[in-house]
Amino acid sequence: MSATLTESLRPTATPELAKRVELSAIDASTRGPVLYFLGSSILWLILGTVFALIASIKMHAPEFLGDSEWLTWGRVRTAHLNAVAFGWSVNASFAVAIWLMARLARAEVRHAGMLTLAAVFWNVGLTIGIFGILAGDSTSIEWLEIPPYATPILFVAYALIGAWALITFRFGRSQHIYVSQWYILGALFWFPSIYSVAQVMLLLEPTRGTVQSLVNWWFAHNFIGLWLTPIGVGAIYYFLPKVLGKPIHSYYLSILGFWSLALFYNWAGVHHLIGGPVPVWVQTAGIAASFMMVVPVLVTAINHHLTMVGSFSALKYSPTLRFIVFGAVNYTLTSLVGSLASMRSFSEVVHFTQHTVAHAHHGLYSFFTMVMFGAVYYIVPRVTLKEWPSVKLISLHFWTVAIGNIAMIGALTIGGIEQGINMNVLPTNPDGTAGEPMAFLNVMAQTLKWLEWRTYSGILITVGHVAFAINFAWMLWQPRKPGITQPALFRNAPDMEVAR
Amino acid sequence: MSRSSDHSKPANKTHVPAPEDQRAEQAGVNDESLVEVHSILLREKAEPSEGFSPMPLFLLGFISALIFGVSVYVVHYRGDFDPLVYDHRFSAAAGGADVGPVELTPAQILASGRRAYQTCVACHQANGQGVPGAFPPLAGTEWVTGSEERLIRILLHGLTGPIEVNGNTYNGVMPAFGRVPGGGYNWTNERIAHVLSFIRNEWGNEASFITTEQVDAVFRAEAGRSRPWTAEELAQFVGN
Repeated sequence: MSATLTESLRPTATPELAKRVELSAIDASTRGPVLYFLGSSILWLILGTVFALIASIKMHAPEFLGDSEWLTWGRVRTAHLNAVAFGWSVNASFAVAIWLMARLARAEVRHAGMLTLAAVFWNVGLTIGIFGILAGDSTSIEWLEIPPYATPILFVAYALIGAWALITFRFGRSQHIYVSQWYILGALFWFPSIYSVAQVMLLLEPTRGTVQSLVNWWFAHNFIGLWLTPIGVGAIYYFLPKVLGKPIHSYYLSILGFWSLALFYNWAGVHHLIGGPVPVWVQTAGIAASFMMVVPVLVTAINHHLTMVGSFSALKYSPTLRFIVFGAVNYTLTSLVGSLASMRSFSEVVHFTQHTVAHAHHGLYSFFTMVMFGAVYYIVPRVTLKEWPSVKLISLHFWTVAIGNIAMIGALTIGGIEQGINMNVLPTNPDGTAGEPMAFLNVMAQTLKWLEWRTYSGILITVGHVAFAINFAWMLWQPRKPGITQPALFRNAPDMEVAR
Repeated sequence: MSRSSDHSKPANKTHVPAPEDQRAEQAGVNDESLVEVHSILLREKAEPSEGFSPMPLFLLGFISALIFGVSVYVVHYRGDFDPLVYDHRFSAAAGGADVGPVELTPAQILASGRRAYQTCVACHQANGQGVPGAFPPLAGTEWVTGSEERLIRILLHGLTGPIEVNGNTYNGVMPAFGRVPGGGYNWTNERIAHVLSFIRNEWGNEASFITTEQVDAVFRAEAGRSRPWTAEELAQFVGN
C-alpha cells in the first residue's frame, strides 16, 4: 500500500503536496470500515429516535400503542437506550476513532476488510440484542440490558476493532502522539476493561447485595466517562484546530486535562447511589471525585476556548465547526451541572426525577452526538471524495437538533427540579412549621406538561435526524462530480478562511 | 491525462480510470490530476499541532483551592471509612456501638411489643380473644396478668396439653419462642419481655411490665429444658 501514491509523485513535488497525498492514501484505506460504521450508526440513530418518540409519548399518553406487548414502555425505552448508546454512539465513535487514529499516526489501515467484518459482527450482535430486549429478554440491569446470548458477539467484534486501532497506532510513521490520540488510546483500553468487569460481576458471577448497584453505576457512568467522553473530547481536539488552521492553545493544559480525567472519572459513578444503602465513605469518595471533575472540564474548556478566540466568525461558514463548538460548550455545561447534581443536598431533591433524564441527554446528545455530527460532516467528504449534496439539509439538521435539544433539556431540567421540590421538600406553613407533602398524584399531574414538551422537541429532533440520513444516503449514491469541487459551506467563506 | 474524470461518463475516449480505481493513483499520475481528484484534501488546513502557552496562574490557584475544599469535605463525611456506616450523620462517639444498651421508654416498649405480637395474631387474634376450643384468650385472664414466672416460661418453652382459661378448656400446642433447644422462633429475651409487657397492658389488661432481666433470670434457671410445659407443671409457679 505504502508504495503507491506517495512514490508516484514527481520528485519535484512540494513537501506540502506530499503530505496531502499521504493523507489521501490513509483516508482511502479507512473508507470501507468508516463508511460501514457510519452507515449503520445512522440507521441505529433513526431507529433509536423512533423508540425514543414512542417511549416519550407513552409518558403522557399511556394508552398509545398500549396493546402491543413488544412496545410496552419498559421494553421500548430500554431499546431506545441501547440503540442510541451501542448502535449510534459506539458505531459513530468507532468510525471517528479509526479515522483519527489512522490520520494522526500516519498509517494506512492494513487489511481493512477485517475491520469491516468486525463492524458486521458488532451490528449483528446488537441487532440480536435489541431484538431480545423487545422480545422481553432484557437482563434488567441498566446499561447492560442486552441479553447474555448477544454479548459474546459484541465482545469478538470489539476485540477485533480495538486490536486494529492499536496496530494502526503501532505501525504509524508519526513520531509525535497528538492529544486526540491519548484520548482514543485511553478509551480503547478503558472500555473493554469496564465492560468485561461489569459483565462478570453482574451477569456471569453476580456479586451479592448492594455491591451489584455499585458495579452497575460504576460501569454505566464510566461507559459515558471513559468511552464516549474521551472519544468526543479527542474529536474536538482534532477538528477545532484543524478547521481553524490554528494550533491548540496549550500542550500543558492538554496534559493536565487528560490525566485529571483519567484520575477522577472512574470514581464518580457512585454519586447515583447517594442516600442509598452503600457505605457512606464510598458515596463521599464519589461526590469528591465528581467535584474534582471540574478540573479536567475547566482545563479542557479553557484550552478549547483560547484556541477558538478570534475565530468565532468561522461558525457562520463551517458546518463541522458549528456542531463541534455546540458540543464543546455543552460538554462544559453538562459536566458542571453533573458536579453540582452530585452534591448531597441537591441530589436528595432531584434524584429520580426528570432532571436526571435531562442531564443524561445533555451529556450524550448536546455534547457527544453533536460532536459526532460535526465529525461526520468532515470525514465523509474525505473518504468518499464527494461533497455533501445539500447545504440546506445540513442547515435544517443543525437548527432542528439544536433547538430541539435546548427545548428538551430546558423543559426536563425545569420540570425535574419542580418535580423534585414537590416530591422531596416539605412546604413551610405561615407559622414556620413544616406543611403536608404534596400528594404523589398531584406531583405526577404537574409533571405532565413537561413530558409533553419532550415529545414536541423530540419530533423536531427527529426531523433533523431524517434530514441528516437523507443527506448521507444521497451523498453515497450520487456520482462524483468532475473537476475541482466546492466545499458545502453554510455560505461562501471569504478567502478560504475555513477548511471544509 | 484528462482533466475531467467522472467515472460514470468519461469525458473522452482515451483511457481514464475511475478516481477510486487504484490504477488512477499509481504510476502515470501527475500532480495536476492529483490536485483535481483530491481537491477536498488539498484545501483543508494542515494537521493540528500544539501550542505551548504556559498554564494560567489563576488556574493553579483554583485547582489547589478545589483540592483543599474537597479534602475537607472527604474528612467531614468519611463515616470513619467503616463499611457498615451508611449515613454520614452517624457518629460512633454519640450513638455508636460502645455506649451500651439504650433505655427505652414505656411507649417504645409497648410499640416494640405490638410489632412482635403480629406473630401471635394468627392464633390469639388481634383482639386477644383467641379461638374457642383451640387457642385461649389473652384478654382478661389471670394467666396473662397473674404470675410473671409462669407467663415467661410459657413463652420461652411453649405449652402443650389441656389448659383451663376463664372456665373453658383448650387443648392446643403453643410453640417455644425463646432461644431454647428445639425452639423454632429464637426470639431474644428482650423481645419476649416486650411482647409480654404489651399483652399485659392491652385489651383492658393492666399489669406490671416484664423486664428483660426477669426473662434472663428465668432463662438461666431453666437452662437445658427442651420440652414444652404442661398446665400441671406450671402450677408450682403460681404465687411467685
